Amino acid sequence: MSDLALSSRKPAATLNGYRIVQSISVFVIALVVISPLFMLFIASLKDDRFQILADMGSFRAFWVDNPTFNNFREVGNFAGELAFGRYLGNSLLILGSTVSLGLVINSMAGFILAWGSLPGRALILSVIIALYVIPQESIIMPLLIIVSRAGLSDTFTAQILPFVASPLYTFLFYQFFAQLPKELYEAASIDGASIFRTWWSIFMPLSLPALATVSILMGIETWNQYLWPILITQTDYARPISVAIATFFGQDSIFWDRAMAASVLMMIPILVFYLAFQRWFISSFVGSAVKG
Amino acid sequence: MATVEIRNLRKAYGALEVLHDISIDIADGEFVALVGPSGCGKSTLLRCIAGLETIRSGEIRIDGRVVNDLAPKDRDIAMVFQNYALYPHMNVAANMGFALKLSGRPKAEIEERVGKAAAILDLARQLGRKPVALSGGQRQRVAMGRAIVRDPKVFLFDEPLSNLDAKLRVAMRAEIRELQQRLGTTTIYVTHDQTEAMTMADKIAVLNGGRLEQVGAPLELYRTPANLFVAGFIGSPQMNFVAGDLARKANADTIGVRPEHLSVGRDGDGWRGRVISAEHLGSDTFVHVEVPEAGRLTARTVGDMPVAAGDDVVLTPMAGYLHRFDGDGQAL
Repeated sequence: MSDLALSSRKPAATLNGYRIVQSISVFVIALVVISPLFMLFIASLKDDRFQILADMGSFRAFWVDNPTFNNFREVGNFAGELAFGRYLGNSLLILGSTVSLGLVINSMAGFILAWGSLPGRALILSVIIALYVIPQESIIMPLLIIVSRAGLSDTFTAQILPFVASPLYTFLFYQFFAQLPKELYEAASIDGASIFRTWWSIFMPLSLPALATVSILMGIETWNQYLWPILITQTDYARPISVAIATFFGQDSIFWDRAMAASVLMMIPILVFYLAFQRWFISSFVGSAVKG
Repeated sequence: MATVEIRNLRKAYGALEVLHDISIDIADGEFVALVGPSGCGKSTLLRCIAGLETIRSGEIRIDGRVVNDLAPKDRDIAMVFQNYALYPHMNVAANMGFALKLSGRPKAEIEERVGKAAAILDLARQLGRKPVALSGGQRQRVAMGRAIVRDPKVFLFDEPLSNLDAKLRVAMRAEIRELQQRLGTTTIYVTHDQTEAMTMADKIAVLNGGRLEQVGAPLELYRTPANLFVAGFIGSPQMNFVAGDLARKANADTIGVRPEHLSVGRDGDGWRGRVISAEHLGSDTFVHVEVPEAGRLTARTVGDMPVAAGDDVVLTPMAGYLHRFDGDGQAL
C-alpha cells in the first residue's frame, strides 16, 4: 500500500470518530430538550393526580400504564369561570392581532430606517438597539399605570397594543431590508412606486424569511405572556390561556392531571404556528449563514 | 424622445466634490456614452440625471424642462441597472408592466405594451417565468423591456453588459444599438469599456476624476484627442507616448502615436529597437519593442508578421498620424 493511500485513510477515521461524538452530543441535547415535553404529555394521559406527583423523579414519569383522555375532557370544568375554549380563543385573538400588527409596524419602521431619507437615522438606530437591552419587567409598572389611566385595563387592547412595536423586531427587519440590493429600491422609485408601495409590493414579498422569523419569535413571546395578563386582567373576559391554567393550581389542591392536559392543549396552537412558518424560519438562518 | 442638457453640474458628498462643472448637450434621439476609468464619476452623473442623486449646483434639462427638483418617477426616464434590478418575486410580464400598473393604465393596455416589447426583445415565451429561471442575456433583455414599455423620453443605461460573458456582451451590444436606432429614444449609456462606447455611441463623453475631458463623435476622439488622457483612454492597445528628444524634435513635450500607425520593418528610417515580445492574434500581431530613445512601444501589424522576441526592428510612424501635446498634456 502506498504512503498516499495510508495517509488518505487516517482523516476518514478521524471524521468517523468526530461524527460519532457529534451524533451522541446531538442525541443527548435532544433528549434533554424533549424529555420534559414527553413527561408532560405522558402525565396528561394519567388519570390520578397523586400518581403523577409520585412518579415525578423516577422513570415512571415517562410511562403510563392505562392511558386515558379523561383529563382533556375535564379540562373545561376547572378553568376559571369561562369554558376552556374561550381562554384558548382569547389567546389566539391576542396572538393573531399582536403578530399581524407587529409585522406591519416593525417592518415599516425597519424599512424606513433602511431606505428612507430619515434625519438622525444613526441616532434612532442606536436608541432602538439600546431599548432592546431593557428587560420588559423593568418597565411593567409604568406601563401598567399608563394603560390603566388610558382606561384600557381588562381589555384585549391592553394585551396587544404595548407589544406591537418592538425594538428587536424593528432591528431584525432593518437588517434584512438593508441587505437587499439598493437598485431594487431605486428601480421601484424610477418605476413610480411611492415609498409605501415599494415597501408593500417589492420589499415585503421578498422578506418571507424575516416575516417568518419575526412571526415565530413574536408568536411564542405573546403566547407565553403571563405576568402582564395577570396584572392587567381583573376578570375572565380577556384572560388568556396561560393565566387560566394557573387556576388549576389552587390554594388547597393542585390538579396536576388537568394542568398537564391543559398545558398540552396550550402547546398545540403555537406548535402549529411554528410549523406553518418553520420552512422560512430555517431558510432565514441558512441564508444568513451562506452569505456569511 | 427628447434633448438632454446638462449645465455646469456639480455634485458633492459633504465637502468632497466628485463632479466638477459638467456641461453636455445631448440631441434628440442621440446615443451618448459616458466613459472613463473606475471612480471617474460617470455613474454618479447618470444617477444625477435619473434623480437618484441630488446635485450641488447646475441644471439638468430633459426635453427643455428643468428636472433638478423632480423625483425620478417624474422625469420620464427609464433606467437599466448593472445588476438588472429585476423584482425577483414577479414574473417577466409583471416586471415589465410594473411601472404601467403604477401609473394606473388599463390592464388591456399593459398586456398589449408588454406583449409588444416582449416580441421586440424575443421574450414572448418567457413572460410567465421568474427572473431566477432566466439566463443572463434574458435578464438583460427583461431589464431593457421594463425600460421600453414605458416609452420614456430618455433611456439611461448603467454598465448594463458588465455582468455578461464576452461573447454575449458583443451580441447584446449590437442588440441594444439596433433597438435604440429602431425606437429613436435619446440614450445615455455608462461604460468603462471604450470599445463598447466606440462601437455603440453617436457621441462619447470622456470623464476623468469628475471632470469632462472631451465630448465628441467616436472617430473625432480617436483622431483628435483633446489631451493625453483622452489619447490614452480611447483606442486599444492604447496610444504610445514618447517624451524627451524625439518629442522636442516635433516641437512638443510629448508625442503620441497609435500602435496601428507604427509600421514595423527590418530596416529604413525610423526608431530602431529590439522586440521584447510578439502577440500573434491571427488577425493582428502586437509587437512590443524596446526603443532606446523612446522606451517601450507597441506596434500593431498584420497577423502573419514573421517577428519574434529578440529580433531587431525599425518602427516608423506613419505620416500625419503623430499627436503632439504640450507640457500640460493638452493637444497642440
